[in-house]
Amino acid sequence: MPVPILKQGQMLIASMQSNLNDQDLMQLKDEIAGKIGRFKSRGVVLDVSILDVLDSFATRTLRSIAETARLRGAETVIVGIQPDVAIAMVQLGLTLDGVMTALDLEEGIDLLVASIEGSRQGGS
Amino acid sequence: MTDGPLPSDLDRLQLSPHDIERRKAFVDFQPDDAARIATIKDLVVRNVDRYSSTFFDHLATTEEAFGLTRSRSLLEQAKRLKHEHLIAMVQGDYGRDYMEQRVRLGVLYSRAALNARVFLGAFHLLMRAIGADIIKQYANAPGNGFDCFMSLKKIGFVDIGLIVDVLIAERERTINLQQDAIRELSTPVLQLRDRLLILPMIGVIDSRRARQLTDGLLLSIRANRAKIVVMDITGVAAVDSKVANHLIQTVAAARLMGASVIVTGISADVAQSLVALGVDLTSIRTMNDLQGGLEEAERLLGYKVVHADGATPASGSRLTRG
Repeated sequence: MPVPILKQGQMLIASMQSNLNDQDLMQLKDEIAGKIGRFKSRGVVLDVSILDVLDSFATRTLRSIAETARLRGAETVIVGIQPDVAIAMVQLGLTLDGVMTALDLEEGIDLLVASIEGSRQGGS
Repeated sequence: MTDGPLPSDLDRLQLSPHDIERRKAFVDFQPDDAARIATIKDLVVRNVDRYSSTFFDHLATTEEAFGLTRSRSLLEQAKRLKHEHLIAMVQGDYGRDYMEQRVRLGVLYSRAALNARVFLGAFHLLMRAIGADIIKQYANAPGNGFDCFMSLKKIGFVDIGLIVDVLIAERERTINLQQDAIRELSTPVLQLRDRLLILPMIGVIDSRRARQLTDGLLLSIRANRAKIVVMDITGVAAVDSKVANHLIQTVAAARLMGASVIVTGISADVAQSLVALGVDLTSIRTMNDLQGGLEEAERLLGYKVVHADGATPASGSRLTRG
Protein backbone atom coordinates (compact mmCIF):
# COMPACT_ATOMS: atom_id res chain seq x y z
CA MET A 1 0.00 0.00 0.00
CA PRO A 2 1.59 3.28 -1.09
CA VAL A 3 2.24 5.95 1.51
CA PRO A 4 0.37 9.23 1.19
CA ILE A 5 2.67 12.25 1.26
CA LEU A 6 1.05 15.45 2.50
CA LYS A 7 2.38 18.93 2.00
CA GLN A 8 2.12 21.14 5.05
CA GLY A 9 3.73 24.54 4.66
CA GLN A 10 7.41 24.02 4.11
CA MET A 11 7.16 20.42 5.18
CA LEU A 12 6.29 17.08 3.69
CA ILE A 13 4.58 14.61 5.99
CA ALA A 14 4.62 10.94 5.10
CA SER A 15 2.58 8.87 7.49
CA MET A 16 2.76 5.11 7.04
CA GLN A 17 -0.66 3.49 7.17
CA SER A 18 0.33 -0.16 7.30
CA ASN A 19 3.42 -2.32 7.30
CA LEU A 20 5.31 -1.66 4.12
CA ASN A 21 6.90 -4.01 1.66
CA ASP A 22 10.20 -3.21 0.00
CA GLN A 23 8.53 -1.88 -3.12
CA ASP A 24 6.39 0.60 -1.15
CA LEU A 25 9.54 1.87 0.52
CA MET A 26 11.34 2.39 -2.77
CA GLN A 27 8.30 4.19 -4.15
CA LEU A 28 8.19 6.42 -1.04
CA LYS A 29 11.83 7.30 -1.55
CA ASP A 30 11.28 8.28 -5.19
CA GLU A 31 8.17 10.32 -4.45
CA ILE A 32 9.76 12.26 -1.60
CA ALA A 33 12.82 13.07 -3.66
CA GLY A 34 10.54 14.38 -6.42
CA LYS A 35 8.16 16.31 -4.17
CA ILE A 36 10.92 18.10 -2.27
CA GLY A 37 11.89 19.72 -5.54
CA ARG A 38 8.34 20.45 -6.66
CA PHE A 39 7.19 22.03 -3.37
CA LYS A 40 10.58 23.48 -2.38
CA SER A 41 10.18 21.77 0.98
CA ARG A 42 12.60 22.41 3.83
CA GLY A 43 11.65 19.49 6.01
CA VAL A 44 10.35 15.93 5.84
CA VAL A 45 8.56 14.04 8.63
CA LEU A 46 8.39 10.27 8.36
CA ASP A 47 5.84 8.87 10.78
CA VAL A 48 6.50 5.20 11.48
CA SER A 49 4.36 4.83 14.60
CA ILE A 50 2.16 2.21 12.93
CA LEU A 51 5.09 -0.08 12.13
CA ASP A 52 5.72 -2.92 14.53
CA VAL A 53 8.95 -3.91 12.84
CA LEU A 54 11.75 -2.03 11.14
CA ASP A 55 14.14 -4.41 9.41
CA SER A 56 17.53 -3.64 7.96
CA PHE A 57 16.16 -2.79 4.54
CA ALA A 58 13.57 -0.41 5.94
CA THR A 59 16.18 1.22 8.18
CA ARG A 60 18.57 1.64 5.29
CA THR A 61 15.86 3.07 3.08
CA LEU A 62 14.76 5.55 5.74
CA ARG A 63 18.35 6.64 6.15
CA SER A 64 18.82 7.03 2.42
CA ILE A 65 15.58 9.04 2.20
CA ALA A 66 17.04 11.38 4.82
CA GLU A 67 20.34 11.66 3.00
CA THR A 68 18.65 12.27 -0.35
CA ALA A 69 16.44 14.91 1.25
CA ARG A 70 19.45 16.63 2.78
CA LEU A 71 21.10 16.84 -0.63
CA ARG A 72 17.90 18.42 -1.92
CA GLY A 73 17.92 20.96 0.93
CA ALA A 74 15.48 19.43 3.43
CA GLU A 75 15.97 18.01 6.96
CA THR A 76 14.30 14.73 7.85
CA VAL A 77 12.82 13.64 11.17
CA ILE A 78 11.71 10.09 11.81
CA VAL A 79 8.96 10.02 14.40
CA GLY A 80 7.00 7.48 16.38
CA ILE A 81 9.42 4.55 16.70
CA GLN A 82 7.77 2.29 19.28
CA PRO A 83 9.68 1.02 22.36
CA ASP A 84 9.70 -2.59 21.15
CA VAL A 85 10.82 -1.56 17.70
CA ALA A 86 13.60 0.59 19.18
CA ILE A 87 14.89 -2.29 21.29
CA ALA A 88 14.77 -4.72 18.38
CA MET A 89 16.62 -2.27 16.16
CA VAL A 90 19.33 -1.69 18.73
CA GLN A 91 19.76 -5.41 19.23
CA LEU A 92 20.08 -5.93 15.49
CA GLY A 93 22.68 -3.16 15.40
CA LEU A 94 20.51 -0.94 13.22
CA THR A 95 21.06 2.74 13.86
CA LEU A 96 19.75 5.94 12.37
CA ASP A 97 22.94 7.95 12.83
CA GLY A 98 22.75 11.38 11.37
CA VAL A 99 18.96 11.34 11.17
CA MET A 100 16.84 13.27 13.65
CA THR A 101 14.30 11.29 15.64
CA ALA A 102 11.35 12.44 17.70
CA LEU A 103 8.70 10.88 19.88
CA ASP A 104 5.67 11.64 17.71
CA LEU A 105 4.40 13.80 14.86
CA GLU A 106 3.93 16.87 17.05
CA GLU A 107 7.45 16.69 18.46
CA GLY A 108 8.87 16.06 15.02
CA ILE A 109 7.18 19.12 13.54
CA ASP A 110 8.42 21.28 16.45
CA LEU A 111 11.92 19.96 15.93
CA LEU A 112 11.82 20.68 12.19
CA VAL A 113 10.39 24.17 12.67
CA ALA A 114 13.17 24.94 15.16
CA SER A 115 15.77 23.53 12.81
CA ILE A 116 14.42 25.41 9.77
CA GLU A 117 14.26 28.67 11.72
CA GLY A 118 17.71 28.05 13.13
CA SER A 119 19.22 27.56 9.69
CA ARG A 120 17.36 30.61 8.33
CA GLN A 121 18.73 32.78 11.13
CA GLY A 122 22.17 31.28 10.64
CA GLY A 123 21.96 32.02 6.91
CA SER A 124 20.83 35.64 7.20
CA MET B 1 9.92 -34.16 61.15
CA THR B 2 10.82 -37.74 60.47
CA ASP B 3 12.68 -37.22 57.24
CA GLY B 4 15.01 -34.53 56.03
CA PRO B 5 13.56 -32.54 53.17
CA LEU B 6 14.39 -33.41 49.61
CA PRO B 7 15.10 -30.54 47.27
CA SER B 8 12.25 -30.03 44.84
CA ASP B 9 14.62 -30.00 41.89
CA LEU B 10 16.01 -33.42 42.68
CA ASP B 11 16.34 -34.27 39.01
CA ARG B 12 18.97 -31.64 38.55
CA LEU B 13 21.22 -33.85 40.70
CA GLN B 14 21.01 -36.59 38.09
CA LEU B 15 19.47 -39.51 39.95
CA SER B 16 17.84 -41.40 37.11
CA PRO B 17 18.67 -45.15 37.04
CA HIS B 18 21.04 -44.44 34.16
CA ASP B 19 22.80 -41.67 36.08
CA ILE B 20 23.12 -43.84 39.17
CA GLU B 21 24.79 -46.53 37.07
CA ARG B 22 27.11 -43.90 35.67
CA ARG B 23 27.97 -42.65 39.12
CA LYS B 24 28.93 -46.21 40.05
CA ALA B 25 30.83 -46.67 36.80
CA PHE B 26 32.92 -43.57 37.54
CA VAL B 27 34.36 -45.29 40.61
CA ASP B 28 34.56 -48.66 38.79
CA PHE B 29 32.10 -50.42 41.08
CA GLN B 30 31.86 -54.13 40.09
CA PRO B 31 29.68 -57.01 41.30
CA ASP B 32 32.80 -58.35 43.07
CA ASP B 33 32.82 -55.20 45.17
CA ALA B 34 29.28 -55.88 46.36
CA ALA B 35 30.31 -59.42 47.30
CA ARG B 36 33.32 -58.19 49.29
CA ILE B 37 31.25 -55.57 51.07
CA ALA B 38 28.84 -58.34 52.11
CA THR B 39 31.67 -60.01 54.05
CA ILE B 40 32.14 -56.98 56.28
CA LYS B 41 28.45 -56.24 56.68
CA ASP B 42 28.20 -57.67 60.19
CA LEU B 43 31.33 -55.90 61.35
CA VAL B 44 30.08 -52.49 60.27
CA VAL B 45 26.55 -53.01 61.58
CA ARG B 46 27.93 -54.12 64.96
CA ASN B 47 30.13 -51.02 65.32
CA VAL B 48 27.89 -48.49 63.61
CA ASP B 49 27.49 -46.29 66.68
CA ARG B 50 31.21 -46.02 67.21
CA TYR B 51 31.82 -45.02 63.56
CA SER B 52 29.05 -42.52 63.68
CA SER B 53 30.44 -40.89 66.81
CA THR B 54 33.92 -40.76 65.24
CA PHE B 55 32.39 -38.64 62.54
CA PHE B 56 30.41 -36.35 64.80
CA ASP B 57 33.07 -36.08 67.53
CA HIS B 58 35.47 -34.82 64.94
CA LEU B 59 32.95 -32.29 63.68
CA ALA B 60 32.33 -31.12 67.24
CA THR B 61 35.96 -30.02 67.51
CA THR B 62 35.76 -27.88 64.39
CA GLU B 63 34.58 -24.33 64.61
CA GLU B 64 33.40 -24.42 60.98
CA ALA B 65 30.94 -27.21 61.82
CA PHE B 66 29.29 -25.39 64.74
CA GLY B 67 26.29 -24.71 62.53
CA LEU B 68 25.59 -28.43 62.68
CA THR B 69 26.98 -29.51 66.03
CA ARG B 70 25.54 -26.62 68.05
CA SER B 71 22.00 -27.09 66.78
CA ARG B 72 20.40 -29.94 68.66
CA SER B 73 17.63 -30.67 66.18
CA LEU B 74 19.90 -30.63 63.15
CA LEU B 75 22.49 -32.73 64.93
CA GLU B 76 19.94 -35.35 65.97
CA GLN B 77 18.62 -35.59 62.45
CA ALA B 78 22.10 -35.82 61.04
CA LYS B 79 23.04 -38.56 63.51
CA ARG B 80 19.98 -40.57 62.65
CA LEU B 81 20.57 -40.18 58.90
CA LYS B 82 24.25 -41.04 59.33
CA HIS B 83 23.29 -44.17 61.26
CA GLU B 84 20.90 -45.18 58.48
CA HIS B 85 23.51 -44.40 55.92
CA LEU B 86 26.28 -46.49 57.47
CA ILE B 87 23.96 -49.48 57.65
CA ALA B 88 22.72 -48.93 54.10
CA MET B 89 26.30 -48.59 52.95
CA VAL B 90 27.02 -52.27 53.54
CA GLN B 91 23.69 -53.70 52.33
CA GLY B 92 24.86 -54.01 48.72
CA ASP B 93 21.85 -52.19 47.29
CA TYR B 94 22.83 -48.81 45.93
CA GLY B 95 19.79 -47.69 44.02
CA ARG B 96 17.68 -44.60 44.06
CA ASP B 97 16.62 -45.02 47.68
CA TYR B 98 20.22 -45.09 48.80
CA MET B 99 21.03 -42.02 46.75
CA GLU B 100 18.01 -40.12 48.03
CA GLN B 101 19.03 -40.91 51.58
CA ARG B 102 22.40 -39.34 50.84
CA VAL B 103 20.77 -36.31 49.26
CA ARG B 104 18.73 -35.79 52.43
CA LEU B 105 21.90 -35.79 54.46
CA GLY B 106 23.55 -33.44 51.98
CA VAL B 107 20.65 -30.99 52.19
CA LEU B 108 20.91 -31.12 55.96
CA TYR B 109 24.63 -30.34 55.82
CA SER B 110 23.91 -27.52 53.47
CA ARG B 111 21.28 -26.09 55.82
CA ALA B 112 23.80 -26.31 58.63
CA ALA B 113 26.29 -24.44 56.43
CA LEU B 114 28.74 -27.30 56.63
CA ASN B 115 31.27 -26.90 53.88
CA ALA B 116 32.79 -29.64 51.75
CA ARG B 117 36.26 -29.30 53.29
CA VAL B 118 35.06 -30.03 56.82
CA PHE B 119 32.75 -32.81 55.71
CA LEU B 120 35.54 -34.51 53.76
CA GLY B 121 37.86 -34.43 56.76
CA ALA B 122 35.30 -36.04 59.04
CA PHE B 123 34.26 -38.58 56.42
CA HIS B 124 37.87 -39.55 55.91
CA LEU B 125 38.27 -40.22 59.63
CA LEU B 126 35.15 -42.35 59.60
CA MET B 127 36.43 -44.42 56.69
CA ARG B 128 39.74 -44.81 58.46
CA ALA B 129 38.03 -46.16 61.56
CA ILE B 130 36.13 -48.70 59.47
CA GLY B 131 39.31 -49.54 57.58
CA ALA B 132 41.23 -50.24 60.80
CA ASP B 133 38.53 -52.68 61.95
CA ILE B 134 38.46 -54.45 58.58
CA ILE B 135 42.21 -54.96 58.64
CA LYS B 136 41.86 -56.35 62.17
CA GLN B 137 39.17 -58.80 61.01
CA TYR B 138 41.38 -59.91 58.12
CA ALA B 139 44.56 -60.00 60.22
CA ASN B 140 45.56 -63.31 58.66
CA ALA B 141 44.77 -62.20 55.10
CA PRO B 142 45.60 -58.51 54.91
CA GLY B 143 45.34 -58.54 51.12
CA ASN B 144 41.69 -59.53 51.25
CA GLY B 145 41.04 -56.97 53.96
CA PHE B 146 42.57 -54.30 51.80
CA ASP B 147 40.39 -55.33 48.84
CA CYS B 148 37.28 -55.21 51.02
CA PHE B 149 38.20 -51.77 52.24
CA MET B 150 38.82 -50.54 48.71
CA SER B 151 35.41 -51.85 47.63
CA LEU B 152 33.78 -49.99 50.48
CA LYS B 153 35.78 -46.94 49.58
CA LYS B 154 34.31 -46.96 46.06
CA ILE B 155 30.87 -46.56 47.59
CA GLY B 156 32.39 -43.94 49.87
CA PHE B 157 33.47 -41.95 46.84
CA VAL B 158 30.05 -42.24 45.22
CA ASP B 159 28.71 -40.82 48.50
CA ILE B 160 31.21 -37.99 48.55
CA GLY B 161 30.43 -37.11 44.93
CA LEU B 162 26.76 -36.94 45.72
CA ILE B 163 27.17 -34.89 48.89
CA VAL B 164 29.44 -32.42 47.11
CA ASP B 165 26.92 -32.18 44.26
CA VAL B 166 24.19 -31.41 46.75
CA LEU B 167 26.29 -28.79 48.52
CA ILE B 168 27.11 -27.11 45.23
CA ALA B 169 23.52 -27.33 43.97
CA GLU B 170 22.20 -25.82 47.18
CA ARG B 171 24.72 -23.03 46.99
CA GLU B 172 23.77 -22.34 43.38
CA ARG B 173 20.15 -22.25 44.41
CA THR B 174 20.97 -19.64 47.05
CA ILE B 175 22.84 -17.59 44.49
CA ASN B 176 19.91 -17.80 42.06
CA LEU B 177 17.51 -16.69 44.76
CA GLN B 178 19.72 -13.74 45.55
CA GLN B 179 20.02 -12.83 41.89
CA ASP B 180 16.26 -12.88 41.57
CA ALA B 181 16.04 -10.63 44.61
CA ILE B 182 18.47 -8.18 43.04
CA ARG B 183 16.54 -8.24 39.79
CA GLU B 184 13.36 -7.46 41.58
CA LEU B 185 14.85 -4.32 43.04
CA SER B 186 12.78 -1.93 41.10
CA THR B 187 14.54 0.69 39.08
CA PRO B 188 12.30 3.72 39.14
CA VAL B 189 12.23 6.18 36.30
CA LEU B 190 11.44 9.55 37.83
CA GLN B 191 10.18 12.67 36.22
CA LEU B 192 12.12 15.62 37.55
CA ARG B 193 10.71 18.35 35.37
CA ASP B 194 8.51 18.52 32.33
CA ARG B 195 10.31 16.43 29.67
CA LEU B 196 13.18 15.49 31.99
CA LEU B 197 13.53 12.02 33.49
CA ILE B 198 16.14 10.64 35.83
CA LEU B 199 17.05 6.98 36.00
CA PRO B 200 19.14 6.09 39.03
CA MET B 201 20.69 2.69 38.38
CA ILE B 202 21.77 0.58 41.35
CA GLY B 203 23.23 -2.88 41.70
CA VAL B 204 24.33 -5.41 39.17
CA ILE B 205 23.43 -4.88 35.53
CA ASP B 206 23.21 -8.13 33.60
CA SER B 207 21.56 -8.76 30.26
CA ARG B 208 18.14 -9.50 31.72
CA ARG B 209 18.11 -6.49 33.99
CA ALA B 210 19.47 -4.25 31.25
CA ARG B 211 16.57 -5.33 29.05
CA GLN B 212 14.09 -4.55 31.86
CA LEU B 213 15.68 -1.16 32.42
CA THR B 214 15.54 -0.33 28.74
CA ASP B 215 11.91 -1.44 28.46
CA GLY B 216 10.92 0.61 31.49
CA LEU B 217 12.82 3.65 30.31
CA LEU B 218 11.34 3.59 26.81
CA LEU B 219 7.81 3.25 28.13
CA SER B 220 8.41 6.17 30.49
CA ILE B 221 9.83 8.26 27.68
CA ARG B 222 6.63 7.72 25.76
CA ALA B 223 4.34 8.23 28.77
CA ASN B 224 6.06 11.43 29.95
CA ARG B 225 7.01 12.70 26.51
CA ALA B 226 10.56 13.05 27.71
CA LYS B 227 13.28 14.71 25.69
CA ILE B 228 16.19 14.25 28.05
CA VAL B 229 17.05 11.39 30.37
CA VAL B 230 19.76 11.64 33.00
CA MET B 231 21.04 8.15 33.76
CA ASP B 232 23.04 7.98 36.96
CA ILE B 233 25.29 4.95 37.35
CA THR B 234 26.99 5.89 40.63
CA GLY B 235 25.34 2.88 42.27
CA VAL B 236 26.26 0.31 39.66
CA ALA B 237 28.58 -2.17 41.33
CA ALA B 238 30.80 -2.97 38.39
CA VAL B 239 31.01 -1.44 34.96
CA ASP B 240 32.79 -3.61 32.43
CA SER B 241 32.58 -3.78 28.67
CA LYS B 242 29.37 -5.80 28.85
CA VAL B 243 27.61 -3.29 31.08
CA ALA B 244 28.94 -0.49 28.88
CA ASN B 245 27.41 -2.22 25.87
CA HIS B 246 24.07 -2.40 27.64
CA LEU B 247 24.34 1.32 28.35
CA ILE B 248 25.15 2.07 24.72
CA GLN B 249 22.16 0.03 23.58
CA THR B 250 19.83 1.74 26.03
CA VAL B 251 21.06 5.14 24.91
CA ALA B 252 20.66 4.21 21.24
CA ALA B 253 17.12 2.92 21.82
CA ALA B 254 16.18 6.10 23.69
CA ARG B 255 17.56 8.16 20.84
CA LEU B 256 15.40 6.29 18.35
CA MET B 257 12.45 7.51 20.40
CA GLY B 258 13.68 11.05 20.17
CA ALA B 259 15.14 11.39 23.65
CA SER B 260 18.77 12.11 24.43
CA VAL B 261 20.51 10.52 27.37
CA ILE B 262 23.13 12.00 29.65
CA VAL B 263 25.09 9.42 31.63
CA THR B 264 26.44 10.59 34.97
CA GLY B 265 28.31 9.11 37.89
CA ILE B 266 31.17 7.40 36.09
CA SER B 267 33.83 7.37 38.79
CA ALA B 268 37.53 7.88 38.16
CA ASP B 269 38.21 4.15 38.51
CA VAL B 270 35.38 3.16 36.22
CA ALA B 271 36.42 5.73 33.63
CA GLN B 272 39.99 4.46 33.67
CA SER B 273 38.98 0.85 33.38
CA LEU B 274 36.59 1.59 30.52
CA VAL B 275 39.35 3.38 28.67
CA ALA B 276 41.73 0.52 29.38
CA LEU B 277 39.14 -1.94 28.03
CA GLY B 278 38.87 0.14 24.89
CA VAL B 279 35.11 0.62 25.19
CA ASP B 280 33.97 3.27 22.77
CA LEU B 281 31.60 5.58 24.62
CA THR B 282 31.88 8.51 22.22
CA SER B 283 28.24 8.03 21.27
CA ILE B 284 27.21 8.75 24.86
CA ARG B 285 27.02 12.19 26.39
CA THR B 286 28.51 12.09 29.89
CA MET B 287 28.76 14.42 32.86
CA ASN B 288 30.75 13.87 36.02
CA ASP B 289 27.94 13.73 38.56
CA LEU B 290 24.17 13.87 38.86
CA GLN B 291 24.20 17.59 39.57
CA GLY B 292 26.21 18.31 36.45
CA GLY B 293 23.92 16.08 34.43
CA LEU B 294 20.79 17.81 35.68
CA GLU B 295 22.23 21.25 35.02
CA GLU B 296 23.17 20.23 31.50
CA ALA B 297 19.72 18.75 30.93
CA GLU B 298 18.05 21.92 32.17
CA ARG B 299 20.23 23.99 29.91
CA LEU B 300 19.32 21.81 26.93
CA LEU B 301 15.63 22.07 27.77
CA GLY B 302 15.91 25.81 28.10
CA TYR B 303 15.34 26.04 31.83
CA LYS B 304 17.22 28.61 33.82
CA VAL B 305 17.33 28.20 37.57
CA VAL B 306 17.61 31.53 39.32
CA HIS B 307 18.11 32.20 43.00
CA ALA B 308 14.98 33.52 44.74
CA ASP B 309 16.76 36.79 45.55
CA GLY B 310 17.67 37.34 41.93
CA ALA B 311 16.04 40.00 39.81
CA THR B 312 14.97 37.63 37.04
CA PRO B 313 11.80 35.58 37.54
CA ALA B 314 12.45 32.14 39.07
CA SER B 315 12.84 28.88 37.26
CA GLY B 316 10.56 27.66 34.52
CA SER B 317 11.14 30.34 31.93
CA ARG B 318 11.76 28.54 28.70
CA LEU B 319 14.30 30.43 26.67
CA THR B 320 15.35 28.03 23.98
CA ARG B 321 14.74 24.44 23.13
CA GLY B 322 17.49 21.87 23.01
